[in-house]
Amino acid sequence: MGSKAERRIGLLFVLPAIMLVGLFRLFPLAWGFVLSFTDSNGFGRSSFVGFDNYVAIAHDPVFRDSIENTLILIATLPVWVMLPLLLAILIHQGVPGGRIFRAVYFFPAVLSTVIIGSIFNVVLRFDGSLNAFLKAVGLVPVDWLGNGATALASLIAVQLWATFGMSLLIFMAGLSTVSTELIEAARLDGARPLQIWIHVIVPALRPIIEFVAVVTTIGVLTSMFGLIYVLTAGGPGTATTLPEFLIWLEQGKMNQPGYAAAISMVLFVILGGLAYVQIRIMSRNANL
Amino acid sequence: MQAKLSALLLAGTILAAAPAKAQEITVWDWKSGDPAAASYYEKVKGDFEAAHPGVTVNYVMQPLDQYYTLLGTALSSHAGPDLFLMNGGAQAKARIPALLRLDDKVADLRKTVIGWPEFTGADGGVYAVPLSIQGFVVYYDKKLYRDAGLDPDKPPRTWADLARVCAAIKAKGAVPCFSMGNKEGYGAEFWFSTMAANEWTAGEQQDFAAGRLKWSSPQVKAILQSWVDAGKAGWFQDGPNSTTKFMDEYEGFMRGEDANTIGLISDVAHWKQFDDFLGADDGVFRMPSPTLAADKTEGDPMMPVAGGIGYGVNKASVHADLAVELAKALAAPAAMQVFFTDTGAIASNTGVDTSKVDSPAAKAILAWLKTKGVPTAHANATAKELEEWHRQSQLLLNGEATVDAAAARLDAVQADARK
Repeated sequence: MGSKAERRIGLLFVLPAIMLVGLFRLFPLAWGFVLSFTDSNGFGRSSFVGFDNYVAIAHDPVFRDSIENTLILIATLPVWVMLPLLLAILIHQGVPGGRIFRAVYFFPAVLSTVIIGSIFNVVLRFDGSLNAFLKAVGLVPVDWLGNGATALASLIAVQLWATFGMSLLIFMAGLSTVSTELIEAARLDGARPLQIWIHVIVPALRPIIEFVAVVTTIGVLTSMFGLIYVLTAGGPGTATTLPEFLIWLEQGKMNQPGYAAAISMVLFVILGGLAYVQIRIMSRNANL
Repeated sequence: MQAKLSALLLAGTILAAAPAKAQEITVWDWKSGDPAAASYYEKVKGDFEAAHPGVTVNYVMQPLDQYYTLLGTALSSHAGPDLFLMNGGAQAKARIPALLRLDDKVADLRKTVIGWPEFTGADGGVYAVPLSIQGFVVYYDKKLYRDAGLDPDKPPRTWADLARVCAAIKAKGAVPCFSMGNKEGYGAEFWFSTMAANEWTAGEQQDFAAGRLKWSSPQVKAILQSWVDAGKAGWFQDGPNSTTKFMDEYEGFMRGEDANTIGLISDVAHWKQFDDFLGADDGVFRMPSPTLAADKTEGDPMMPVAGGIGYGVNKASVHADLAVELAKALAAPAAMQVFFTDTGAIASNTGVDTSKVDSPAAKAILAWLKTKGVPTAHANATAKELEEWHRQSQLLLNGEATVDAAAARLDAVQADARK
């Protein structure tokens, strides 16, 4: 425990950060909360409507579809975690050209979403390069972005391609911390490579896997707007509409900031729940 | 006494010599940075600033795809521009709470400028000055018609004609009949209004605008059905739901990859742009429909026409009077003449001289404007209905929804939006 003067100095150091968080995070959050109880159109008079917006959300089929799409997205979580883990393991095994692969896999993570969207627009559109390839090998072309059966899967695949490099790097860092003595002991006991990975390395990486799983879940729920905007505009129908895109739609195109704020609050609660899980996991790991 | 008089005179001289207080009028749009419109905007700015010493006109161009989001944010934070451009219809009407009512201020323009209904509120007041006229016509590629064994000088006038044309083009197998961009639902939006132009009576147009004509009514469902039928008949190219209207659809048409496209008469995807690519092969006709309203004639299709874009004055502007003057200057005949000549957009000001245009497509459109214009139905729908129509149109085209289901959903949205 430092002296009073030290604490004051410490407070002085964190004061700018507290002010910034208050001004740009807490105040807009509080404002959004208040707005969610109004029928504001953004520039005219607005009146207090109680829980009307929340009741409307409960009956809104587009919101319901966006939540269903979110659940589909979350259901793909094992792929988001296992793919970079698998690739990290292969690179860590020392496959030829591992360094090049690592750089290639990470490269999309530094590209802007709009650029990624534009690239895949060219690739996935009906007369795009992927269908040109399919036709060249005698297969039937698919309307990847305009078909309800494939649009969301296409978006997820693009987002996965764009972001798994970061998870891969985290796993690579985690792998470097796994005790080599433990691996050597398992090998001396006669364990085969696959058994070593399943029974020694993956359990040792458990905190990292949990961390990646939670961070990825929050990431995909809050960072797919750009891709949706560029690739599908939320369609066809509501096939690729996620809550964050719906918030923009209600605010930007429908002039319904009150309703958009209410959806934001619902999304905030969902993400708050995930953040709580994250904190619990992190603190549990800290106690290990 | 003399000293006091001298001091007063000196003070008066200084005050008189001081420049008038500088004022800046900020104008938001998505066009002032367009090279084609540069001369028009410069002319208005130059003339206005010369006529109003001390006043500066500041054009701020915003990206169109984010325009209304940015505008809404600026208006809600009371930092909006003095004057701003809007699309007529749903977009303008949604912003009426932020706009200054202009009735008494633009009375002198009412006879010479057209397109007011799309900027008129439910209270009957006028809230923006129309700049251009918007409408939908079908542009066609005469070369592709010739290739399919069709007479390029006899475009379809009836639905049966159109069906024959599309069948011939399909049989040729080289290109699709229509270029269609429905990724954002705009293809269905245009289709809706072109069908309503011939399938609805004037009374039904009014009923739809007032929310009395339901989407599940036979008149509206017929339009939804025609959309489905055209898709099933293979009139559109593959993948319309992943093709953007602006500009994938139109770029395809300009490259000669599609025989027809429903285009505009404003300053984009219009006769001037298509003339540049297709030259003398750029043809134009009015879209027929499968059924006809009682007040229409077979073989003489009407075309949807409405106020295109217009300038509204921010109610919160501290320079509102000057902003009104500037809006009127932007719609004045001399300036509009430059706008029309440079961009090809049909001006809302009827004082613009269009007699020197030599494009056959433009001549045809200008002639039709006088007698063939009817309301643009979708411009009178609410933003919520339009957004839902975008969604349902994609499902209909993919076969993921029935006409009845789509109409029922649109009924619910219409009822909610008109509460």
